[in-house]
Amino acid sequence: MNVVVTPAMLAQVIVSGILAGGLYAMVALGLGLIFGVMRVINIAHGPLLMLGAYTTYFLTTRAGINPFLTVPVAMAALFLVGVLLQRGLVFRVVDAPELSSLLLTFGISIALVNLAQLAFTSDLRAVEYITGAWVIGGLAVSKPRMIAFLFAAGVTAVSFVLLQRTRLGKAIRATSQSREVAMVCGVDVARIHMLTFGFASALAAAGGALLAVIVAIQPEMGGVWTFKSFLVIVLGGAGNYPGALLGGLLLGLVEQIASLFLTSQLSEVVAYVLLVLVLLVRPTGLLGGRQT
Amino acid sequence: MKRLLAPALLLVLAALAVYPTVGTGYGVRSVQQVFMWIALAGSWNLISGLTGYVSFGHVAFFGAGAYAGAILVASAGWPWPLAALAGGAAAVGLAVVIGYPCLRLKGPYFAIAMLGLNEVLRALVSYFEGLTGGGNGLSLPTLDASVPIYYVMGGLAVVVTGVSWLIVTSRFGLRLMTIREDELAAEAMGIDTFHHKLAALLLSAAGPGVAGALTARDQGYIEPISVFPLAITVTMIVMALFGGKGTVFGPVLGAIVLFVAQEIVWARYPYVHPLLFGAIIIAVVLLMPRGVLGLLQQRYRLPRTI
Repeated sequence: MNVVVTPAMLAQVIVSGILAGGLYAMVALGLGLIFGVMRVINIAHGPLLMLGAYTTYFLTTRAGINPFLTVPVAMAALFLVGVLLQRGLVFRVVDAPELSSLLLTFGISIALVNLAQLAFTSDLRAVEYITGAWVIGGLAVSKPRMIAFLFAAGVTAVSFVLLQRTRLGKAIRATSQSREVAMVCGVDVARIHMLTFGFASALAAAGGALLAVIVAIQPEMGGVWTFKSFLVIVLGGAGNYPGALLGGLLLGLVEQIASLFLTSQLSEVVAYVLLVLVLLVRPTGLLGGRQT
Repeated sequence: MKRLLAPALLLVLAALAVYPTVGTGYGVRSVQQVFMWIALAGSWNLISGLTGYVSFGHVAFFGAGAYAGAILVASAGWPWPLAALAGGAAAVGLAVVIGYPCLRLKGPYFAIAMLGLNEVLRALVSYFEGLTGGGNGLSLPTLDASVPIYYVMGGLAVVVTGVSWLIVTSRFGLRLMTIREDELAAEAMGIDTFHHKLAALLLSAAGPGVAGALTARDQGYIEPISVFPLAITVTMIVMALFGGKGTVFGPVLGAIVLFVAQEIVWARYPYVHPLLFGAIIIAVVLLMPRGVLGLLQQRYRLPRTI
């Protein structure tokens, strides 16, 4: 395949890559928080994102609410779902071997997708809100993607302020560094686990709500997001929360740049090859291990 | 109890061997399906049940075997038994590619890598359209080999179960289970955990590869959707978990019970099938992590090596 890449094309894909990367970073931060705090990889992270997308879809099409205004609603709704899942099921496997938590969240994931199929059917749905693009200095910037990026950047920034500045955030980071020491310092670890799971589900929901205006909504849309979020965490270094930002941007950029050279079928493979390469070369992530 | 087990097993095997001469077409086909699920669930158990490294994408090995076998039959004119072995080899080759980077590390890397593998293979199949037929699928020359395939599939189920028994009763198996219980301790005892995990993965990939190639030959037509569905992975996981992961006959028990239940009861409610399987996974993990056989072993003091 001979593709001549002009600087303009490169600039274009870099912009698209950054826009996509913002969403990756936000969604992956949720998965990373659960992993950091509970040592659980939540396979149901993607399906929770899917539920967020449906929340936006129904609020927009049935109640006529502006899709971007539904983001906080979807986050609140999925926060509750997350808390319930953690309280009802996941808390039982936090101390169990990894096998148990992986299988349990896998079971939850299958059940959620099937419930969505039963409740919403497998039809592709779309929220038509803004289409088109702004042209800035010869670069086309997709309007829905740009707004979604700004929202994601805002939510991520607020999340970091929460993690860095508030007592709750400190408790979350402390639990993630050492549960025992956090407990000794008076942190209610069970409560932190519950809130973290809810918060992470809310981040996934925000991703879904924003994606609703960008891509087609269907029950199986989330699966690939569990995988990609995990990849972002590996890129940034597990347990390293700022690393998720870098990982997200990197994944977005790599995918977009690869799309210049590859057919659309192969572009799905890019993320996978990236994961295998990182695991081979630098399994502790680009920024290195755990620094919360 | 122990003395009765071997004769009883032989009797069952003998009955299954003569079954195609007396059974109906539907019956033979169903038993063959049970054989396949025994082989698949038993194979999943070798890596995930014994070492604790969960594979969320074992259907990838099934699909790789199906495509390798089908291509060799359709394009190179190989006889199907040989193509079935090649299907197993192709799956083992794929397992090396995945296992080498992912199993060197402890942690969930392997599980997630397997989760994404399916999509990758599906994309590759549609990319190499000339070889695989892409989304149009691949047709094999017609051939009625349903009875021989029944025997080969049965043989595969016996081999996978036999290999499981050999492993569980061997020092190799003990080392695998040590990795499952505490990988650091296993390393401290001098176990080369990476190569043990890799060996377990290769062994567990071979069975699905052969089963995939046999299924491709039996159905005479394959397409990406039919050989890479998530449902196959889910079903083998549910069967192995339900029967009892980490045991020899747990996956056998799970495959038989759940297949029969599926045919008799759930076939009427296909829409809630995944929900049911998800619920079974959740329930087994929380309520009986060692599965039905694990419970029986505890209650009736059965040997731990069944």
